[in-house]
Amino acid sequence: MPADPDHRSNVNPIDAELMIYVRNISKDFGGQQVLSDITVDFEEGKTNLIIGASGSGKTVLLKAIAGLHPIDAGRILYDDMVFNQLEEKERKLIHKKMGMLFQGSALFDFATARENVRFPLDFFTDWSMAEKNDRVDFCLERVNLEDIGNKYPSELSGGMQKRVGIARAIVMNPRYLFCDEPNSGLDPQTAIVIDQLISEISHEYNMTTIINTHDMNSVMAIGEKVVFLYEGKKEWEGSRENILHSDSKALNDFVFASEMAKMLKKSKF
Amino acid sequence: MIKKTLELLGEYILLMKRVFTKPEKWSIFWKQYFVETESLGLTSVALIGIISIAIGAVLVIQTAYNIENPFIPKMYVGYMVRESLILEFSCTMIALILAGKVGSNISSDIGTMRLTEQIDAMEMMGINSANYLILPKVVAVCVFNPILMLFSFLVGILGGWLIVAATGMITLSQYTEGLRFAFNGYYIVYAVTKMIVFSFIIVTVSALYGYGPKANSMEVGRASTRSIVSICLLILITDLMLTQLMLN
Repeated sequence: MPADPDHRSNVNPIDAELMIYVRNISKDFGGQQVLSDITVDFEEGKTNLIIGASGSGKTVLLKAIAGLHPIDAGRILYDDMVFNQLEEKERKLIHKKMGMLFQGSALFDFATARENVRFPLDFFTDWSMAEKNDRVDFCLERVNLEDIGNKYPSELSGGMQKRVGIARAIVMNPRYLFCDEPNSGLDPQTAIVIDQLISEISHEYNMTTIINTHDMNSVMAIGEKVVFLYEGKKEWEGSRENILHSDSKALNDFVFASEMAKMLKKSKF
Repeated sequence: MIKKTLELLGEYILLMKRVFTKPEKWSIFWKQYFVETESLGLTSVALIGIISIAIGAVLVIQTAYNIENPFIPKMYVGYMVRESLILEFSCTMIALILAGKVGSNISSDIGTMRLTEQIDAMEMMGINSANYLILPKVVAVCVFNPILMLFSFLVGILGGWLIVAATGMITLSQYTEGLRFAFNGYYIVYAVTKMIVFSFIIVTVSALYGYGPKANSMEVGRASTRSIVSICLLILITDLMLTQLMLN
């Protein structure tokens, strides 16, 4: 049964502005300062990357922006709304405009790939099953996974799980996409595929995307704006073109940590 | 210790506030309700049946062994087995057994979902994960466990009947007469009330321990163990309070 074509490609109307502003946010866990006075803007329709070494606070910052970690000080604004000061009902409305790909994919073990992708549609739409399935098929096709709908997450490879995670993240046609270490645990080729997929989808649907990674390949391939965290503080921000010529020692140590990068730096830069 | 207990109580109250809200969609709630009834209730029937039949039989043997006085009628064996089963075994003992089976299941399931960020994924979608995951479990267990308790009572009585028939230590008519003797219907109300309260404790306390933040899989196991210890203590304290309130 053919469904309304709008259900395949669109769920929410596109908003006018999709900026995310982070203002002076701080967070500590059990007395240990994890984020310290971070101020940064994430630009509309761009692939914004948060980079940094393990333990630098990337995941905490991403989850704080996404509303999964409460912050101790500062403000997080979605356009003109102070997200961290909203009532739960209002926060829920913004959450419905978000999609997130988690580090371990976070697919529901009790559901098949198809049911995972359909999950938010079951909750937030009154569509018929045919319409929902149509939208799910569209999203699975978009991530090049047509034939695995009836498999459970445990039956899928890491790369497939990530792609199902992306399909689930975009099924409600979100305006904001958050990706926590999308390449972790993947081989270099699959990592490139996932990076490209995220970048393409972000531009295709004009989403404000924030990716948290320590993979320099991702930075150079898809990073339109890059924020570097060092020991819970924002050490540097700029474009991927400028990252190789920064004066920051911490950033240089991070960027040119591998032997290959050091050799390239000696020969080219 | 007091500070930790108060903190835990605060977390419990906040969690319950999130659990007891109107479900996003009733159709999803009812679907989950039947799933949970099957996984937390129906799968316990065999275990409870086996334990109850054995306990019923043992109660008959022990009671008969202790009533050797010729002035005490033999039918009291049936009477005492019935009273023991309905007043304490089929509700409190069964609740303690279910605390181990159902409580650890809930705590480890929710704990694993927390560890693998599945709960975060629900929150990101704008779904009240506490309501979606816990409320159907609370309703399913609070509705099904009293039925399980009545089943345990009947199977326990049957276990006694079988051992009487097999050994002939008293006659079947004496046993049946004892079962019918001075029956007080209020005891059923008392036992069902206790079971509903115990079931609520089992689900909500195990969910509380499972729902908290987890750093690794060992914490999931530890939370599960802690939840069972807490549930058992709470069941025993509540048993004392309800008995004082309802039977005194």
